[in-house]
Amino acid sequence: MNHKHAKIIFVIFVNIIVLFGCSPIVEKNLVEEIAPVTFWSIQKGEDENFRMSTLIPPLVKEKKRLLSVQVDLLKEGVKGFNLKYYRELKVGQLRMLLISDEIAAEGISPLIDTILTDPDISKRMYLVIVKGDFDEYINSQLGVQEDLDYFLYRMLKHYDNQGKMTVVNLHEFMKALHSPTHSPVLPVFEAGNENFQYQGTGIFKNDKLIETTNNLEEQIFQLLDNDHFLKYLTIRDLSFVLGHVKADVQLNIDKAYSELKLNVQLNGRLDEVGREYDLLTREKLSSFESEIESYLEKQTTEFLKKLQENKVDPLQVGKYTLGPFSKPLDEKEWSDKWGRMEVKVDYDLKLQPLTDIKND
Amino acid sequence: MSGFSLFEKTSSFNGVYITLMVNRMQMLYFVIIMPVFLIYPYMIWIIIIVGLLSQINIFMLSKWFNSNYASRGYEGFAELFGERSVRLLSFIGLGFILLKLTVITLGYVEVTQHFIFPSLNTNWMILFILLICWYVCSHGMTPTIRFVVIAFLSTAWMFLLLFNFLFQPFNSIHDLFPLLPYEWTMKSWKAVVFIFSALSGPEYLVLLAPWFNTRKKVLKYMTIGNVFTIFEYVFLFIASLFFFGPHYLEENRFPMMEMMRYLESPVFERIDMILISVYLVNFVFAISIFMLLFYGATRIALKRTKDQTTKSGFAVCCSIVSICLFINNELLWKKATNQNILLELEIWAGALTYLLIPLFLFISLRRKGRV
Repeated sequence: MNHKHAKIIFVIFVNIIVLFGCSPIVEKNLVEEIAPVTFWSIQKGEDENFRMSTLIPPLVKEKKRLLSVQVDLLKEGVKGFNLKYYRELKVGQLRMLLISDEIAAEGISPLIDTILTDPDISKRMYLVIVKGDFDEYINSQLGVQEDLDYFLYRMLKHYDNQGKMTVVNLHEFMKALHSPTHSPVLPVFEAGNENFQYQGTGIFKNDKLIETTNNLEEQIFQLLDNDHFLKYLTIRDLSFVLGHVKADVQLNIDKAYSELKLNVQLNGRLDEVGREYDLLTREKLSSFESEIESYLEKQTTEFLKKLQENKVDPLQVGKYTLGPFSKPLDEKEWSDKWGRMEVKVDYDLKLQPLTDIKND
Repeated sequence: MSGFSLFEKTSSFNGVYITLMVNRMQMLYFVIIMPVFLIYPYMIWIIIIVGLLSQINIFMLSKWFNSNYASRGYEGFAELFGERSVRLLSFIGLGFILLKLTVITLGYVEVTQHFIFPSLNTNWMILFILLICWYVCSHGMTPTIRFVVIAFLSTAWMFLLLFNFLFQPFNSIHDLFPLLPYEWTMKSWKAVVFIFSALSGPEYLVLLAPWFNTRKKVLKYMTIGNVFTIFEYVFLFIASLFFFGPHYLEENRFPMMEMMRYLESPVFERIDMILISVYLVNFVFAISIFMLLFYGATRIALKRTKDQTTKSGFAVCCSIVSICLFINNELLWKKATNQNILLELEIWAGALTYLLIPLFLFISLRRKGRV
C-alpha cells in the first residue's frame, strides 16, 4: 500500500462521515433558514422577570415586525424567539443590548454574565439603558423608517470615541465593573411614542444604576472624562454657547488622599451669546471668561460632591492613586477616602471671540 | 519494508532551524492561558527573570550540543550513561512526552470547542488532529523538522495583531501599576513555576541533535529563539493587561483568544476563528515531533534500536497515543483551569524536565571530562 492508496482511502473516509449524516457538527447555518438579529431589548415583564423583544427579519427584504416574549431567564428568551418564529435567530450579529432602567436599577450583572459566556456574541456589543417603552417606539416607527435597528447601531458606532455622547461596549463596561476604583457608566436614552433621545450618562454603583446626569453635568462629564471634547458646550444659565471645546485635564491627589486638585484648561470658541451686550472688547471677553470659569467651577464642584456622596467614581479619579512603587488601595479603602476627599476645582478658559475684537 | 525509515538522516539542518524550534516549542498551549496565571503587572519582571534562568539552561544544552556525544544520537547517550540506564531513562521519558502531548492537544481542542465548535464532541477534534499529525509524522523525522518553518511562518506574525491593544482608547498606563510586588503568596510562586514550564520544550532538542549540523554557534541560535520567546511573552502579557486590566483578567479563561475575538476586520466578523485554526499548524508541528519522539523512545525502551522502523510499530505507537488521549479527554481533563489535574501535573512536569535534563547532561559531561 503506497501513499496514493492511503490518500484515496482517507478522502473516502471523510466523505462517508460528511455525506451520510454522521457529520459531527450539529448546527446548521443555511442562509434561508436563519435570521441574525442585531439587538435585544430587555424590559421588565408583567408576570415573568423580563420581556425580551427584537426586530425581525433584520436583513432580508421582508416586512419587519417586533417579536417579544415574556421570560424568566435571558437564554430562555432566545429559545422563545425561535419557537415563535420560522427562522432560527442567530446571535452572531448582535450589536446592541437595550436594557430598561428599571432592570438596571436592580443590577445587570446576571444579564451580562449570561451574555459573556456566549462566544458568539461580540464583546464590542453596545450597552444602552432605555427609559420608557422601547417596544412602543419601535412599533410606531416600523412603517416610517426602514432599517431602524441598523441606523441606531450606526449612530452608536458614529459617536464611539468621539466625546459627544457616552458610548460603552460590553468589554469596556466589564473592565470598569471589575476595577476596584472605576465605576461603570452607560448611555441613557429616553424612548417615547415617537422619540428616542439621548438623555445623559447613567452612573453605576457596582452593577446598579443609581443616577443619570442632567444636561450640564453631562457636558462636564464629557469634558472631564470622555475624550475631553465637546462640539457645543451650552450654558443655559448664562446664555452662552461655546463651540469646539477641548479640555486639558490635570488631576492631582496628595499623598494622604485627602485633597483632590482638578485643573482644567479649556480652549474653545464663543459660538453664541444669547444676551444683550454693546461691544465685544478685550475686557468684555475676559469678563465673560471669568464668569464662565467661576460658573463651571461651582457646577463641577457640586457634581463631584454628588459623586462623593454616592461613593461612585465614574471619572476614574481612583486610578491616580496608583503608582508604580506603591501598594494599591482596595475597593473599600478607596471609597472611604474618596467620600471624604476635599475637592478643589480650577478652570482656565481661553475663548476665541465671535468676531474680531474691537478696540474701543 | 523498504522506504519506511522514520529516523533516517537525509539532510542535516543548520542553526536557523534550532532557533525556530526553540521558539515554537515555547509558544504552545501555555501561552494561551498564561495571563490568567500571572495577573499582576509586576509579573512582567518575573517573566524576564525566569527568561534569564531559561537562558542558563540554554547554555547548558548548548554545551551538550558541542560535545561529541550529541551528534551520535542514541550511541552517544549509550556511551555516556550505559545502555541499561538509557533504556530506563527513555521509559521514564515516555511518560513525560505523553503528558506534554496530552496537555497541548487537549488544551487546543478545548479552545477550539469553546470558540469555534461549541456543539462538537471533542473526540472528533482529537481524531482529526491526530490524523494530520500522523500524516506529517509518517514522512519521517527530517520533513517534520523542516515543517517548523511552515509552523513559524504561519503563526509567528500573530502577535503583531495585538499591537492594536496598546492603543485602545480605554487604555491607561495605570493598568500597569504597581510595578513592584507588594505581596508574595503561593500563587506568585506558582506563576514562576508556570512561566518556567511554559519555557520548557528546548530540552527535547537534545534528542534531535544528530539532525543538526551546527556545532559552534548553537548557543547563539538557541539564544535568539529564547529571547524572541521572552519578548513575545512580555508583549502579550502587557497587551492583555492593557486590554483587561489586572482585575478583569482574572475572570477570563482564554484571554488571548478573547483579545483576538475583539479585533475588528472589515471582511470577517469572527477573525478569531481563522487565527485559532491557523494556530493549529504550530500544534501539529509540536505534536508530530512528540509522537516521533514517543515512537523512538518506545523503541529504545524495548531494545529495538538496531531494527528497521516498521509501519506496524509506528501505528501501534500512534494508537497508544490516541487511546491515551481519548481516555484522558473523557476522564481526567476538567474544563476549569484551576481544577485540571493534568494541567497541574504538566506545569510541574514541564518545569522539572526543563530543570533536570540540561543540568543532568551538563553534570555528566563534566564528570566524563574529568575522568
